[in-house]
Amino acid sequence: MIELHRVSKIYSVGPVKVPALSDVSFRIDKGEFVVLAGPSGAGKTTLLRLLYRADLPSDGEVEVFGSDVASLRRAQVAALRRSIGVVFQDAKLLPVRTVYENVAFVLRVLGTPRRDITARVFDALRVVGLSSRAQAYPAQLSQGEAQRAALARAIVRKPPLLLADEPTGSLDDAMAAEVFEVLRDIWTGGTTVVLATHQRRVAVALRRRTLALEAGRVVKDEG
Amino acid sequence: MFGFLMGEALRDLRRAGRVAVSAILLVTLSLAALGGFWLVSANLDRAVGRWRDRVRIIVYLKREPAEADLPQLLERVHAVPGVASAVYVSRADALRALKQVLGKDAAVVDSLPTNPLPSSVEVTPAATAATPNAAHQLVERLEALSEVEEVAGGVDWVERLSQWQRLLTTIGLGVGAVLALAAILTVTTATTLVVHARRRETEIMRLVGAPELTIRLPLLLQGMLQGLAGAVLALAALSAMYSVVAPRIEPLVSLTLGLPRLAFLTPLNLLALTLAGALLGALGGWLARGGREA
Repeated sequence: MIELHRVSKIYSVGPVKVPALSDVSFRIDKGEFVVLAGPSGAGKTTLLRLLYRADLPSDGEVEVFGSDVASLRRAQVAALRRSIGVVFQDAKLLPVRTVYENVAFVLRVLGTPRRDITARVFDALRVVGLSSRAQAYPAQLSQGEAQRAALARAIVRKPPLLLADEPTGSLDDAMAAEVFEVLRDIWTGGTTVVLATHQRRVAVALRRRTLALEAGRVVKDEG
Repeated sequence: MFGFLMGEALRDLRRAGRVAVSAILLVTLSLAALGGFWLVSANLDRAVGRWRDRVRIIVYLKREPAEADLPQLLERVHAVPGVASAVYVSRADALRALKQVLGKDAAVVDSLPTNPLPSSVEVTPAATAATPNAAHQLVERLEALSEVEEVAGGVDWVERLSQWQRLLTTIGLGVGAVLALAAILTVTTATTLVVHARRRETEIMRLVGAPELTIRLPLLLQGMLQGLAGAVLALAALSAMYSVVAPRIEPLVSLTLGLPRLAFLTPLNLLALTLAGALLGALGGWLARGGREA
């Protein structure tokens, strides 16, 4: 499903070259739950951005669903992203829309028939345990609820791949546990999950395959 | 899908707030100016058309022809290229016409010792001779006839009216174009604010793989809505102005231009102005390109 061959990414800040990833290679198969672990600045976010083609590798090849993402045209990038759900540390909910509207927004943008939207939104909200908060606005949610709403938005299209970039970074342990539980449910539902976290104990607690990143290199692949 | 895009466009319009209102008012101003000049120009054009039909050239004769020579004279005048018809006006007919014009002062004519008016032939130029150059040539040809003393009349003043009409059209287009440019720039500014306000929506749309058209269309539609709103307001303003002003100036227009009624813009004109408004708005919306993200 995902294959990286000797991938490097260097950001240019004026004349300064900042290496974010160096010679990274690994493979993730369909149905896996993989944790990208490492401290801040290790290259986790950069790696995820390469997977949904928000960035291009400076060197090497990134294959997702069998396609070299660097060679995709604009319309193909859009098609790729329709198969990937993404969540971030910041839930990125639209503040003037309810939870229901935030989740439905994605379906409406993609032209889902109106008659299908309600059922699919409530399916997604049920998976993340937010059915009762459908009419709440983001400002009325706890951080954990907001993150679960973001997860509902990411999975409402039932993408085969979910990328989660520090989704629990700003949550306390109890809220983080709720989010991990939801991620586990999504994974057991058949979705491949790639979770980036700087919390080493999270990776250990999840007992899933862990790719440890340090200074842009994969230093360990275990589990 | 269209319902969603339109909903987003309306939401964006509300976000643009006062700038959108300014943009709408500028579109209104530009289209009202354009429509106003168009209205005046169209009525002048009608007057020019009517007067062109009524142009007469008077061919004054050296002496009153004998009755027996009259058919032959008229035949010769009629044979001049550019003459549509020719009617003989005797000295007595001319005097009667003068009395009619003088009305209650007609008695003045009776005090004249002799009839001072010459006999004449009233020529209606053919449509091909209704331009200044052709009319001049026609006058020269008529002057060349041996019986002719003098030729009066022509289409010069009608042509001057026509030039005024063309000038008004040009001024209207100029003023309209300048205001339209200002309107486009204001719609662009309003849309740029919208682009900024909806950056999070745009980010999510790109993230979930929305087609570029779906991302751009609400911006285009909200610009178009500003243009349409401006056009509707401009048409309402023009209509209100027409209904207030037209009845007041129609007597003057009838007297000076010979038009019994001032005509409003045709449905086709109105449609063109509405489409122009939508186009101005759409152009402004399209020009406000948000930064394209990866």
